[in-house]
Amino acid sequence: MKKIITLLLTLFISLSAKESEETPYTLGEGLQVASLPLYLGGYFSLDYKRKPNEEKYEIEDFAILGYGSYEKISYITELEFKKLYVNANKNEERSVEQDTALHVERLYSTYNVNENYDLGVGKYNSPIGYWNLIPVNVLRDTSSIPITSFIIFPQYTTGVNASYNSYTDNDFRIDVMLQKNSDIDPKYNNYEINEHYGIGFTYAKNNFSLKFNAGVFQIVDYYNEDDEFNGKEHDGGDGDGDEDDIDKDFETLTSSKHYYALLSAKYDSDSFQVMGEIGSQRSKDDFITKYAGYVQSVYRFDEKHMAILRAESYDNQVSKIAENMAIVGYTYRPIYPIAIKTEYQFHSISNNDTLLLSFSMMF
Amino acid sequence: MTTNFIKFFLLCSVLCNFSYADEYVIVANKNMKELSLGEIKAIFLKKISFTNDIKVIPINLSSRDAVRSKFEQQILKMNLIKLKSYWTKQHYLGRRPPITMKSQEAIKTFVKKVDGAIGYMNVNNVDDSVKILYKWSDE
Repeated sequence: MKKIITLLLTLFISLSAKESEETPYTLGEGLQVASLPLYLGGYFSLDYKRKPNEEKYEIEDFAILGYGSYEKISYITELEFKKLYVNANKNEERSVEQDTALHVERLYSTYNVNENYDLGVGKYNSPIGYWNLIPVNVLRDTSSIPITSFIIFPQYTTGVNASYNSYTDNDFRIDVMLQKNSDIDPKYNNYEINEHYGIGFTYAKNNFSLKFNAGVFQIVDYYNEDDEFNGKEHDGGDGDGDEDDIDKDFETLTSSKHYYALLSAKYDSDSFQVMGEIGSQRSKDDFITKYAGYVQSVYRFDEKHMAILRAESYDNQVSKIAENMAIVGYTYRPIYPIAIKTEYQFHSISNNDTLLLSFSMMF
Repeated sequence: MTTNFIKFFLLCSVLCNFSYADEYVIVANKNMKELSLGEIKAIFLKKISFTNDIKVIPINLSSRDAVRSKFEQQILKMNLIKLKSYWTKQHYLGRRPPITMKSQEAIKTFVKKVDGAIGYMNVNNVDDSVKILYKWSDE
């Protein structure tokens, strides 16, 4: 493991040194490898989480990006260690985990048909909602992401993506997602899926944008190891996570197609931003997630300091959990590609209030 | 007497305002088709990379240039914080910021010679070797 990281860092540093002789390197914008159509970059996040009976330190993401374009074809690859190091203390029991598997987060290529149309193939972030397009700690407002962004739709799609953009004064965009095959890296998705058909419409005028997504997908297996959701979706009925409950949920979840819809709106001025999303997911017979939504406001004091307030609510029929949350956060960016964040989550379910601290960087 | 003085004062104020309203233009190679303001904005934000099968090459002035600042505020409608945030996010999405040149003269020469090149400058620096796509003045 250490060898892999050392190798990657050595490669990056040596490329940085070579590059600096020609053009100045800007942190957060990557660097070009010689004169090739290849740019390298990456990001990482160091997190600390504290709950009433749990404390955790972790290297949450460590990823390397490689991308470039030649004529009308562009490509991007993103390889990531998801939980490189986790040191947890839960109910006075300490554990250390190291997941050294290198995951394929994205691997796709896009053909630019003309100024309005793009056609892509590979594994990509499903262009749904606002948060899923940039699922990287350093680039988002808070360390956590709203639950809406990972229980309603598949975060990644492996297949074809077509998009249309009007590029008029009032932008109008359509995204189409098609998957009828396995995931390139099935372990790196919130759902393991083998089918996904989705469409999205985005309208933007000046500082305002409105987005609607809808689609259907078929689950093969069900993960959700995301800590923000605390593994609740694995826990059926009584929420204690026993095997019987998990089997029951698994059957419910994989027996039919899942339909989702998500409505998103955002107003973004120079000093403040208000955004909200509301979505739902159901099978043919019943709701899986009746609703999940949030409203968030961000106030930028200046270039470096911002405060965030978010209210979230959801009702999941499988885990039988309905919860409300209030999240108060503060983010300091000494320079934009470096973020030091703190947030406190107030949960309506007892013993779930959480303190999150993180240091993240894009390079 | 007082009325005349006030009229004279108002006239001077209006004329002064006119004389300080600098004008700027977005220029492209002569082979470039007409572009809407939405398309120009998309080109400088690297959302459009080809038009009529010609690769577009947007060119910025250096980061501290006053004309660049006016272009970003009045055409892109983005302040410095938003642009920093935008380009860091674009790095994650696999897009690079436009190339930069140090002077308006350098941009004009490049635009004149290279198909698909597009830049901006003060209207006083323009001649008929380049095509004017859009003109704006200080707000």
